[in-house]
Amino acid sequence: MTLIVAALVLPSLFWDKGAETANLLDRARISHIDTPASIADSWKRVAGITVDVVDLKQLIHLTTPSVRFDPQEASATRAAWVNSNGWRFLRDPDARFYYEAPGASAPLAAAEAFTYGVWAVIHTNEAGLQPLGGMLAFLKQLDSEYLPALANIGFIDDGSPQSGEFMNLLVRRNLLFKIVKQPDPKLDLTVALGSPDYPRFEAGNPSLLAEKVRSHLTDEKRLLRIYGSEEVIGRLFGDGNHARLYLINYESARASIEGIRVRVLGDYSKQQITGYELPDARLLDVSTGAGATEFTIPELRTFAVITLSQRK
Amino acid sequence: MPGHYPGKAVRVHSDRAINVSSNRVDASCMKAMLSAGMRQLTGASDDRDAWRQFISPDDTVGIKVNCSGAPEINSNPELVASIIENLLSLGLPPERLYIYDRFAYQMRIVNFETHVPKGVKIAAAESSRGSIAGYDPFTYVEVNFFGEEDTRSNLIRLVSEKFTKIINVPTMKEHRAAGVTGCLKNIAYGDFSNVARSHKREQSNTYSFIGTLASVEPLRSRTVLNVMDGLRSIWHGGPFLQDPRFLFYPKEIVVGTDPVALDHLLIDMIEAKRRQEGAPSIFDRSSAHLKFVHERDPNFNSFIREPGHVQYASELGLGIYDKSQIHEKAIEL
Repeated sequence: MTLIVAALVLPSLFWDKGAETANLLDRARISHIDTPASIADSWKRVAGITVDVVDLKQLIHLTTPSVRFDPQEASATRAAWVNSNGWRFLRDPDARFYYEAPGASAPLAAAEAFTYGVWAVIHTNEAGLQPLGGMLAFLKQLDSEYLPALANIGFIDDGSPQSGEFMNLLVRRNLLFKIVKQPDPKLDLTVALGSPDYPRFEAGNPSLLAEKVRSHLTDEKRLLRIYGSEEVIGRLFGDGNHARLYLINYESARASIEGIRVRVLGDYSKQQITGYELPDARLLDVSTGAGATEFTIPELRTFAVITLSQRK
Repeated sequence: MPGHYPGKAVRVHSDRAINVSSNRVDASCMKAMLSAGMRQLTGASDDRDAWRQFISPDDTVGIKVNCSGAPEINSNPELVASIIENLLSLGLPPERLYIYDRFAYQMRIVNFETHVPKGVKIAAAESSRGSIAGYDPFTYVEVNFFGEEDTRSNLIRLVSEKFTKIINVPTMKEHRAAGVTGCLKNIAYGDFSNVARSHKREQSNTYSFIGTLASVEPLRSRTVLNVMDGLRSIWHGGPFLQDPRFLFYPKEIVVGTDPVALDHLLIDMIEAKRRQEGAPSIFDRSSAHLKFVHERDPNFNSFIREPGHVQYASELGLGIYDKSQIHEKAIEL
């Protein structure tokens, strides 16, 4: 396969405060912003900052990425509710998006938008500037070699809110899918709400639908499995010989994760991690064989990238 | 497991073991109870000879305690200290003795450090709840109970990589999901990660999961002795004390190598106490007694209990369940 070097799609800061706050951006190492038209001119006179004008009315407003703990509703599994926007990006990859992401949710929003390669702006507060700047700097230095997203489930999206929630649950459970117009024989499974396996009357319980997809696919065929956390969502890219895995910790505003075990389908003899805020990160207890590569990530802050190569 | 003495259980009771009004354990009485139990179990006339049957000076020993109900009910540090004293007498250096459990925050409540010689290691698999570094990524039981995402329960890393012998020191109490928590549950659920997933709503998969976990090597073959701590017990709402009236004081320890035989005696003890209190049997499965609430009313429980896990474990070869084949010896001090 021909490797394409593509420009990284980086999200940017939406900033609606005046040019007198330029020192805050400077401290956060942010050199590009999107602003409302009303204040764009004042910013254009500030050295070291490039500015684009954006009209919020034209953007799709997203949920703030986060984890919500509802102990009164949670079961004995302690599973938390993850607010992720992955399904929206997969449904509408060419749209332009807007995040309201204060404080520690700002870098999480940046990591999420980056993972799905979408155009997005992030509105944050002063507390979110430094973390966002740090994340943008981290994302900028990542490998830009293009690799296609991997999926072995096809989802026929009818555009309904019910299908949206169905996709949301697939994303949250790391059941990697892509949207197709009709069944693709190259995929292991095709899913459509309203089909005999996934009747529309079951849409009220999207968790059950996702579990059925998992069961029909089987865990053995899953491209990605994460053990030790239900708050980490991954996206896998690859070309047959190389793979790149993006891992987002949705719990990061509250805590880093002390260890997850990851299983990627395919035997890769080389593995490397680049961890946000963890320059010395390394993978532990790596195993390959039997068609899968497994490793432990001892700590995961907001985001990490795993590079896998030399597939056997 | 079931070790050198299948079907053999030695109960040692002493009224002096614990002062109910002060809640203080008598360490010297504890020592005497352990000595009597070990000698009776092994037939040895000397403590060192008794312990030598299980532990050699070359071993690295893990003492599996139960801190899940602390501070009201846990493996008593006085009993653990007495075990350690016997191990040291065999020539083991303190550095090769570990007191371990899953959760650091629970172990801190018990505070074993102040009861044992310097050098003995206090180790928890999870320094913070959910951390996986203390578990062996290559030794696990994989099963999907309720559609949970993480289907693996991994063995504590110290067990697979460090210990050559394990002494199991469970408490003796009722458990609202498993029926009882004694030898088997302490060695199974207490040595693997991600086990709470086996209960959901009223259903518990402890019936087969406990025995399955306890059968995993090297856990099974390295667990050579069980010393059940029954100074205090709970007859309802376990593993935690949900109401002080559920606490009682059997003032005994039970020693043996066969976890099934010992747990059968525990079932009998809890059943007798519940009968005395007018509470339903732990074998009761009727929906009339199910209510998903804190267990404050002994007539109701959140789960259908699975005390049959003990008999199931016997079918896996972990010990003898048949009472007619269990040789129980009672000692009064």
